[in-house]
Amino acid sequence: MREYLAEPSFADFTLVHAASLKEGLDRLGAGGIDLVLLDLTLPDCTGLETFTRAAAAAPGTPIIVLSGQDDESLAVNTVHQGAQDYLVKGQGVDARIIARSMRYAIERKRFEEALAKERDLLHTLLNNLPDRIYFKDQKSRFMRISKAVWEQFKLPGPKEAIGKTDLDFFAPEHAATALKDEQEIMRTGEAILGKVEKEILPDGSVTWAFSSKFPLKDKRGRIVGNFGISRDITEQKRAEEKLQQANAELALKQEQLQEALTELQASHEAVKSAQFQLIQAEKMQSVGRLAAGVAHEVKNPLAILRMGIDYLSKNLQKPDEETNLILSDMAEALRRADTIIMGLLDFSATRALDLVAQDVSVVLGQSLALVRHEAGPSIKVVRELETDLPPVKLDQNRIKQVFVNLLENAIHAMPSGGTLIVRSGMRQLTPQDIGHDQERRFGEQFRAGQNVVFAEVLDTGQGIPKDKLANVFDPFFTTKPAGKGTGLGLTVAKKIVELHGGELDIRNRPDGGVAATVLFKI
Amino acid sequence: MAAWPLRCCSRFDGMEKKRILIIDDEASFTRMVKLNLEKTGDFEVREENRALNGVAAAKDFKPDLILLDVVMPGADGGDVAQQIHADRHLKDVPVVFLTATVSPREAGAGGLQSGGALFLGKPVSVDNLIQCINQLVRKPAQPESIF
Repeated sequence: MREYLAEPSFADFTLVHAASLKEGLDRLGAGGIDLVLLDLTLPDCTGLETFTRAAAAAPGTPIIVLSGQDDESLAVNTVHQGAQDYLVKGQGVDARIIARSMRYAIERKRFEEALAKERDLLHTLLNNLPDRIYFKDQKSRFMRISKAVWEQFKLPGPKEAIGKTDLDFFAPEHAATALKDEQEIMRTGEAILGKVEKEILPDGSVTWAFSSKFPLKDKRGRIVGNFGISRDITEQKRAEEKLQQANAELALKQEQLQEALTELQASHEAVKSAQFQLIQAEKMQSVGRLAAGVAHEVKNPLAILRMGIDYLSKNLQKPDEETNLILSDMAEALRRADTIIMGLLDFSATRALDLVAQDVSVVLGQSLALVRHEAGPSIKVVRELETDLPPVKLDQNRIKQVFVNLLENAIHAMPSGGTLIVRSGMRQLTPQDIGHDQERRFGEQFRAGQNVVFAEVLDTGQGIPKDKLANVFDPFFTTKPAGKGTGLGLTVAKKIVELHGGELDIRNRPDGGVAATVLFKI
Repeated sequence: MAAWPLRCCSRFDGMEKKRILIIDDEASFTRMVKLNLEKTGDFEVREENRALNGVAAAKDFKPDLILLDVVMPGADGGDVAQQIHADRHLKDVPVVFLTATVSPREAGAGGLQSGGALFLGKPVSVDNLIQCINQLVRKPAQPESIF
């Protein structure tokens, strides 16, 4: 052996000789040995055992067996257990062959180590990456999968997936889509990058994945399958969904808030309106009390004047024309003053109503008869009075007073003629009838959908100027020339109607003229 | 007592004058009513401007009809009317309230009947007043002498 090793072929090697297995094992234990040339027949050990003990002492160190025994079975066994070569001494084995075998062994070992390192890296990747990595053949059967994949498939290990397809692990709709994608990749050689996939598992549960898929090529560049990597983004997706849901809820809340705000504003408007009405009512009550007091105090002097004028009218000896005219003017002035006082008293009156069930059409018809002569020939009177209306409890005299007032107003509004429409009937109130808009509508006493009996007086006159419409019910407000109106008619009329639990509404008609409407509850 | 001979005297006119007592605190008004009514020759009017003296004046004057104001200082017209009705000599004498709190339109030309009492609203015309009085006091022509 030493003779061999003295040959120049070994000039590249540093040789250390051990005479026994024990000595050799000790040397190996000290390290720094790149290759072992092992004789199986040593003083302290022979045969296969010599190899197994040496291999155990120097794992990873290539061992070349150099034996005197040409034992094929032993040769196969030692190579099987990791020997790099089995050389039989004397059988054409010379120093050159041994040296070459040694070089090959060292190179092979280095290559194996590099390969093992690569494999370890790949294993590390496949066993530790949370992303799912798989390799599939041309029929999209799994060839290799990472741990994340077999864990997703709830398999004990990667082997159970080999040869199977997506159809074995996913619901058919997802498996079919994935297969179609993969076939397309393999047909075109084009990768699919960053696709968000909805994965449906057989139990119906849904996961989401962010996937990239590529064609798998052999060394010659032929497509032999496909591989891919996908990341589970279910949590992210759920968070997104939650965010979207939260956003939607937020939007809804905002909408509700806006609605609440709108309602609040409406309530505020209603409260303001109610407050205004309350103040108005309070004002009216004060005016009423004052009016009653003034009326009483004024009526006594008026009574004296009346008696005085009557006395003079009856007892003047030969009164001349002028005196008669003066007395007549005085009587007329007194009548006017008395009319105003009467209106004030009406306004302040709180006497109980004499309520009897009546047909509004009949009362309106009678009121029309009272003023019909005032209309003259230039005013066309149209009667649209509905018969068989449900009876309404009302104080006939006072409601007549209201109707007469409305009719007289309408007639006075058409000095050059026109059409006076007198209408009655029953109808259902619409939501447009109720409200607080500037075009005043029926107030709190009525609600939409309610059936009411109405009486209406419509003229074709000039209408009421828009800026004055809000004042028509104010005491002493009049659009008539001096002496023609007291300014109390509508104030009193409204009060009378309200005492009946009804409502009086005055508004301009779209085509001109005024519509005065009285509503009664049935 | 002083009025009695007057009443006797009036019988001799052939047509007895209707005796009207007006109780109202407004002296100008009572004077005006008195002048107007007496001018017709059919009435004899006595004025009483103090409500509290109303009943005493009625007992003294023995009117055929009493015109009574409602709102007066001292006593309410209603109270005075009650005392008149409670008096056995006066209980049948018709009372007409003359009031400023009822308008003539409400009362109407014939007056407003309320609780058995008749109301006339101020200002009332002389004609209406006379018409009202004549409706309530229809004195038949008396025989020349009842004594």
